[in-house]
Amino acid sequence: MKKALAILLVVLVIAAAIVAWFVTRLPSSPFDGQPRAEISNDLVARGEYVARLADCVACHSTPDSAPFAGGLEMATPLGSIFTTNITPDPQTGIGNYTLADFDRAVRQGVTPDGARLYPAMPYPSYVKLSDEDVRALYAFFMKGVEPVRMANRANTIEWPLNTRWPLAFWNVAFVESGRYEPESDKDDLWNRGAYLVQAAGHCGSCHTPRGPVMQEKALDETNGNYLSGALLDGWYAPSLRNDHNTGLGRWSEDEVVQFLKKGRNAHGVVFGSMTDAFNNSTQFMNDDDLAAIAHYLKSLPGDRERDGTPWQYDAASNEKLALSNRTDNPGARIFMAKCGACHAADGRGKTPWIPPLAGTTSSLAPQNASSVNVTLNGSGRVVTDGVPDSYRMPPFREQLSDKEIAAVLTFVRTSWGNTGGPVTSQEVRDLRERTDPASSNPIVLQMR
Amino acid sequence: MLDTKNLERGDLASPTPTNISRRGFLLATAGVTAGALVLSVGLPAAPARAQQAGMAPGTRVPAFLEIRPDNTIRFLSPFNEGGQGIFTAMAQIVGEELDADPAAFLVENAPAGEDYKVMGAPFGRVTGGSMSVRSSFDVMRRLGALARQMLLQAAASRLEVPLGELATEPGQVVHAASGRKVSYGDLSETAMDLPVPDPDSVTLKKQEDFSWIGKPVARLDVRDKSTGRAVYAIDVKVDGMLHAAVQHAPRLGLTAGHIRNEDTVRGMTGVHSVHTLDGAVAVVAERWWNAKRAVEALQVEWSDPGAQGTDKRYMPADFSTAAFRERLANEPGEGKVAEEEGDAASVLQKAENVVEATYFSQFLHHAQLEPPSTVARFNDDGTLDIWLPNQAPEQFQANIAKVAGIEAAKVNVHSPILGGFFGRHFLYPEANPYPQAIKLARDVGRPVKVIWSREEEFLRDPMRPMAAVRMRASLDEQGMPQALDIVSACEGPTEAVFGHNPDKVDPTAVEGLTGKAYAIPNRRISQIYVKNHTTIAYWRSVGNSMNDFLYEAFLDELADKGNIDPLELRMRLLKGNQRLSTLLQHVVDLSGGWKRGPFDAEDGTKRARGIAMASPFGSHTAAIAEVSIREGQVVVHDIWESIDPGSIVNPAIIGAQINSAAALGTSQALLEDTVYEKGEPQARNYDLYPILRPDQMPRVHVGIVESGEKMGGIGEPGLPAVPPAITNAVSHLTGKRVRSMPLSKLTFDA
Amino acid sequence: MIVQDAKGSRHATTTSRPDFQIIAKTLDQAKHEELAMELTINDTSYEVQSDGETPLLWVIRDELGLTGTKFGCGLAQCGACSVLVDGVVTRSCVTPLASVVGGRITTIEAIEEDEIGKRVVEAWVDHQVPQCGYCQSGQVMAATSLLKENANPNDDEIAAAMTNLCRCGTYNAISAAIRDLAGETKEG
Repeated sequence: MKKALAILLVVLVIAAAIVAWFVTRLPSSPFDGQPRAEISNDLVARGEYVARLADCVACHSTPDSAPFAGGLEMATPLGSIFTTNITPDPQTGIGNYTLADFDRAVRQGVTPDGARLYPAMPYPSYVKLSDEDVRALYAFFMKGVEPVRMANRANTIEWPLNTRWPLAFWNVAFVESGRYEPESDKDDLWNRGAYLVQAAGHCGSCHTPRGPVMQEKALDETNGNYLSGALLDGWYAPSLRNDHNTGLGRWSEDEVVQFLKKGRNAHGVVFGSMTDAFNNSTQFMNDDDLAAIAHYLKSLPGDRERDGTPWQYDAASNEKLALSNRTDNPGARIFMAKCGACHAADGRGKTPWIPPLAGTTSSLAPQNASSVNVTLNGSGRVVTDGVPDSYRMPPFREQLSDKEIAAVLTFVRTSWGNTGGPVTSQEVRDLRERTDPASSNPIVLQMR
Repeated sequence: MLDTKNLERGDLASPTPTNISRRGFLLATAGVTAGALVLSVGLPAAPARAQQAGMAPGTRVPAFLEIRPDNTIRFLSPFNEGGQGIFTAMAQIVGEELDADPAAFLVENAPAGEDYKVMGAPFGRVTGGSMSVRSSFDVMRRLGALARQMLLQAAASRLEVPLGELATEPGQVVHAASGRKVSYGDLSETAMDLPVPDPDSVTLKKQEDFSWIGKPVARLDVRDKSTGRAVYAIDVKVDGMLHAAVQHAPRLGLTAGHIRNEDTVRGMTGVHSVHTLDGAVAVVAERWWNAKRAVEALQVEWSDPGAQGTDKRYMPADFSTAAFRERLANEPGEGKVAEEEGDAASVLQKAENVVEATYFSQFLHHAQLEPPSTVARFNDDGTLDIWLPNQAPEQFQANIAKVAGIEAAKVNVHSPILGGFFGRHFLYPEANPYPQAIKLARDVGRPVKVIWSREEEFLRDPMRPMAAVRMRASLDEQGMPQALDIVSACEGPTEAVFGHNPDKVDPTAVEGLTGKAYAIPNRRISQIYVKNHTTIAYWRSVGNSMNDFLYEAFLDELADKGNIDPLELRMRLLKGNQRLSTLLQHVVDLSGGWKRGPFDAEDGTKRARGIAMASPFGSHTAAIAEVSIREGQVVVHDIWESIDPGSIVNPAIIGAQINSAAALGTSQALLEDTVYEKGEPQARNYDLYPILRPDQMPRVHVGIVESGEKMGGIGEPGLPAVPPAITNAVSHLTGKRVRSMPLSKLTFDA
Repeated sequence: MIVQDAKGSRHATTTSRPDFQIIAKTLDQAKHEELAMELTINDTSYEVQSDGETPLLWVIRDELGLTGTKFGCGLAQCGACSVLVDGVVTRSCVTPLASVVGGRITTIEAIEEDEIGKRVVEAWVDHQVPQCGYCQSGQVMAATSLLKENANPNDDEIAAAMTNLCRCGTYNAISAAIRDLAGETKEG
């Protein structure tokens, strides 16, 4: 008996050692052992563009911080994570990182000391980055970014939930290991688009639904869940597939390009968390890359069953807005008092400057978070080509009660053919409590 | 209905420069209440022709009056019109003694000048403190009488009859014996060249002979304001003018450093130039919209030098109103005494029944609808013409001269009518656009109009003070207050604007806590001065705008603790005070009898009424409010308010002013609160700073009591009693004691 | 375009969705080049050189010099900038110029040319509505639009239609004036 226990103990110790090795091991990098190379200005410039594609600045800077000095608070149900200093400062930043260290952090979520990053860092997408892009990105962060001495803030997640080694197993289960491999039966444009969307663009981080342990349910087009729309952080990121109602079904490739380049088109204007992605990333992509993204996205089929009957404008709703009718219809009445001046009394907006509410994904998606959030909090300024928008969406949280917001959004989401459905006061209250109004100040994050 | 005989548009719209210069009017073109949309003339100041040395302010008739051949009367008012009806009141007062129908008047705000300092020391003249009529009533009447006398003299020469045989009818001199009549317009040319008679030589009318004073004379500006013809500072346009928009530093005290994209912005459509100003950057452009878009695009690196001494205010990055409120509430000390009677401290020490509570007022925006603007134009002769909304032309002139580095005499201040003011347009350091306009006009060598967007206005608008007030009172066995100790931690607007004197209490910090008529035998009212990081301002009703709420709400708390009905308590505390007892009873009668409730209204709501009083600006008011709760929020249905201003000039305007004050009081009580976080105001527009909407407006029932006492103010006195009347009703209805505003931050069960 | 529906209620409608080419042309003005646009304001045609994105308000005020229409908030919160577009009250501070090309715009300067507008002005004078007056151009436009849609509005309809802000609190006078006008049509 004693012997059996001893054997079991030995087995356990060995197992623990293997686990310990596994969860703290440094995964290999193709750059292991490579000597530090000279960094050319061209490579820095290329890396800066990759940093735009990957939108590093949106998370690793704040409006008050120096570029890439970190400090952005990311609230999670468990506590707050603060993004880190990724300037080349040797003490507090990543100045001592070798290219291989940098690669392991970006593509595998592992720091030089073997710690696992929370997947708030989108390494499940970045893992698909090409070696060339990683090398360029490294060049930018070493030579193109000013070192800033700023210590990282400790996360506020409590023990034992702050234990990060189990993420090693999460990674085994949910992170695909390979670089992006072009599909041989697709053309170059499609493959470039797929690479941008899946890897640097990490579009799926917001637009792909997540599973029970927060993993993205799909990481490429082979699964119908990919980019099919998801609820994240109080916003509903709509489908980027060819869904007629809740996706890009009615958009042409040109309109997708226009949206990503100018922040607006005939269908809508960026808002919510997409404002950050537009302000800091997509508008800086070159025309070829935007065309590739549009081409790839438009190749993703929609799902009629999920998406529902194709939307058609229904002018009959306008009758509800007539003065004699809206006095008995709180939603219609509030719409005319608060919304109609900008979004037009027929719900069609003043495109492309002020988006329609008729037929937009936020009015058609059954998930109403974006409708509620943007009404409570307004939206941040859209800054296109360096110029803030002429027309901003104001927050209504100080003017309308939960019940009133529910009423007006129920009106919007069930009028003009919209099928998003009603909103309840409770839903408004829940979101009100955990969100803040958007700033009316234009926020331009600097990369240099 | 009221009789209005406004002038036709053509008459109003055509300034007649020759006439003006001939008469020596220091007339500006802006501020004309007419459709002169391109105000490009900008007449130079010319010396008055009828020069008499050593004349007292308000007596040099030609400096005030021009009577045109068509018998219209241009009058330069010492006070500016911002909705309170002063232009009409002035026409009534001057017209009364001049014997001219107020409807024939065309009134503008007078330029800066000694003649217009009709209030005497220390104010000279300001449009504020609800002082305009009461401070100048006799002077302005005498001015009208002097002008009439000059017209009579001119007529005597013209008709070659003894002056004693002449009389006047409205607008004309009459010689009864011969039946001849000469209009003022025909006589004016001669009359205005006559020396002004000794002011003591004219006798003023008796009150019972008044034709226009005391009557609901129609406002002179109503038609222009209903047809878009009224011209405000923001509408002023001069030849060759460029437009400017600004972006202020996010916090006061920061300075603009490097602008990252200055070259790009300079290349934007319509942009003339990019400028760095004191605590701001600006873009000058051909059109304001271009300037506004461009200035918003500027990426400025603001540098934070930290607090620089005590002169200038500095807003630290970690300032929040929530923390400041806590600081005020816990500020140690007993404060500097503002009012003391008996021995409150020892009574309180011995008392058994002591009530203690801390009450709060909040920072408020003025939120006048017209955003601040200034047009500045340097002229070839070294003078500066400047158009800006202001409540004190001479003060502005002096400061503008300093900013521009020229003599005050070379600064022509034009004061167009105000698109609301409520205290916004005094001389506030860092809160007015004129230093920017002056610098920009000089830098670009052309006239410049600066307009602040609403967002920039809410960033720099100075605040109605916040106060935390510690109240302690003792009640005797009958429940009557025996001692009252009030310590207010607050910075008053006067010390904030003109400098704090450590030896003195700022009366504008405590008015409304002090000066109450209630006979509480032992009182100690004091102030603890706490310097603010925010800029502080006068706001409609100034200290009274908050202090009467703080006091009267606590008084209701005492009434409830002492088991005395709040009306009964006030009546008892005013025993022997005939004037205020009468007023209180008046409002009770106006409301159909005291009915505190709660009671069921016809529409099924449960309602209650609250009552409060105030004695601000020389007048006295009493208000009753009726409220209910709908979905957790307060609805104000009716306000009954009676005012005793002693004597009156225009009851229709008083009615309008009480409505207006009730609206602002309700807005403050229900909705308004300027919140700072991380050193910045969270609301930059009406989106996050809601003001009273039409569907939230209570019905307002106005009572006027003319006690015949000394004349008081009208524009502000209506406000202070309204918030406590509302909150007292709410406290009673809900059983939840309201000790702070706005009520929207509290939730109530239905 | 005005749609007259069966019940006689009216809505201004934007023209059908602008096509991609037009939007692309507008948005691709990287420097916001100006386009020539024809506007009909107070029955006069103006050719305006402007960016299609510019708010109608600033074209009216700064280009055409019609300063009766006021700037209050720039965010469709206060209504001081209200004008009529095809007879329907419209907040010009949030109306991109390109969206009203082809529409018939009426500003306060021409309100007395409109039969209903003229009566509204008279009621404003009778009731001595304005105080500071800054919001009143917009209030008059809103009231005119209301009475064009419904000549005989009840109190609730007045409340639903009149949403412009007034810091002086002239709200009671405004609704009294409109009630009077509604009464006139009742009798007439």
